[in-house]
Amino acid sequence: MNLGPLSRITPQPIPQGDVVITHEDVDRAHDRVRVSAARAQRGVFSKFRLLWLLVGPGILVMLGENDGPSMISYAATGARFGIGFFIPFVILTFCMAIVVQEMTMRLGSATHRGHAELIFDRFGPFWGWFSMIDLGIGNFLTLITEFIAIRAGLGFFGVPPWAAVGSALVFLCLAVMMHRYWTWERTLLAIAVFNLVFVPVALLTHPNWHSVGSALVTWKPLPGGLTQDTLIIVLADIGATVTPWMLFFQQSATVDKGLTRRDIHLGRIDTVVGAALAATAAVATIIATAPLFAHHMTAENFQGAEFAQALQPLIGRFGAALFAIGIVEAGMVASVTISISSAYAFGEVARRPHSLNLPVAQGKAFYSVLFLCAATAGAIVLTPGLPLVYVVLLVNVVAVLAMPPALVFLFMLANDREVMGDLVSPRWANILAAGVVVFLTLAGLLFGISVIAPNVFAFLGGK
Amino acid sequence: MPSKDKVHSAITSSDQKLVLSSLEPEQLTGLKKHLISRRHLTGLEKLVIWSLRVYLLFMIVVVIYQVWASLH
Repeated sequence: MNLGPLSRITPQPIPQGDVVITHEDVDRAHDRVRVSAARAQRGVFSKFRLLWLLVGPGILVMLGENDGPSMISYAATGARFGIGFFIPFVILTFCMAIVVQEMTMRLGSATHRGHAELIFDRFGPFWGWFSMIDLGIGNFLTLITEFIAIRAGLGFFGVPPWAAVGSALVFLCLAVMMHRYWTWERTLLAIAVFNLVFVPVALLTHPNWHSVGSALVTWKPLPGGLTQDTLIIVLADIGATVTPWMLFFQQSATVDKGLTRRDIHLGRIDTVVGAALAATAAVATIIATAPLFAHHMTAENFQGAEFAQALQPLIGRFGAALFAIGIVEAGMVASVTISISSAYAFGEVARRPHSLNLPVAQGKAFYSVLFLCAATAGAIVLTPGLPLVYVVLLVNVVAVLAMPPALVFLFMLANDREVMGDLVSPRWANILAAGVVVFLTLAGLLFGISVIAPNVFAFLGGK
Repeated sequence: MPSKDKVHSAITSSDQKLVLSSLEPEQLTGLKKHLISRRHLTGLEKLVIWSLRVYLLFMIVVVIYQVWASLH
């Protein structure tokens, strides 16, 4: 039987006599029954219940991307530049993330296929493997930095590195061993909300709200102007918000959760709420470390949770501990989501079962890839002498550079009428998406010029 | 309904009914094995994809150079 891409434009009847029903299908069907029941009822409570049932992938991907390296990048930003240009800039990057991630949610809901699977099927294995190599390398490097963050954060509480890495791996095992997408998603959401601990930390620094408001309006000040160091932070902050793994994760999670065309509106709300929460935590982190800038302390002095130690004289032991917990939480949640992103992509490409609804016996390949990636990354982090903050910033920079090629495939798929039917991207969404691609490409090129021809860059920067 | 020999042994008939009434056809795991047909890339699309691929490789070299320069 060949359903062909056109079949997804109009819902088709269930094929008879040629279907193998799996436990994964049964679990997903139970979730869909609850969604249908909530949708059938009227009233405000039922609408909120429907929203509650359907949120998840968007919030998780956004808070998951507020990961260890991201929070360290934001902390470095605050310590280096204080309150100013980077506060509105980070909010802008989250707006870009909404534009991009909405497309993946729409693709997943319309096609019920993961991102890697769609690229392989529609563009062939040649381009598919390029995308997979980009994703695999990017995810692995990012995973290393998640364990760096966990190690650094727990280090604040005196936990030795081997114990920190070991506990992160145990957490990963516990998180995915629920064999139920719904339980996994709700548990991780509850943990991911701790990303907002950076808000009370920011409040403990007694920020100058007038400066924050002024920065939001004027995008100033930018101490030191446009230098190569500034550009690395710019790229690191972009990479802290939009990265290739997010595309693969949200689309696959949307499929695994079982969202359909009818759920797209609430899927958009899920994505926007996630971006708003993540942007709040990101801005709070910049504000929290801004006092370090005021005290003329620079990011070079710190390695992850050493930001917490540096903040301790200013906000007390409790505030510093909250900051360290935030770094640990960010690394823990992202280590789960990124490992799962790799495992989803592997399963889609290798045509092996890939779902968090799978028991281990039926998803051996899926769970093996997941744990192997995480364990290897964790082992690397135990290497002594790694320049942690530098590695973290560079990984984010690499993520930004890998985004334009990934976005072009996403852009083409979201505009593929044979696959998307009437859900192809509208013109305004295409203009925004093209703007994001151009912006990211130009930011990368500017970084390249700053490295290869610093004199030309200094001229462009008005120096 | 699917033939019994193709249904997983632990799946009951009520499970089958639930799945077939709740999920869209393409949500069924068994149907995902069917490939989506290949799409022909236009010349412009190939140019853009290749350009961005070259861009990425070039920029990775730049990053490696940046790391090397920082270490020296």
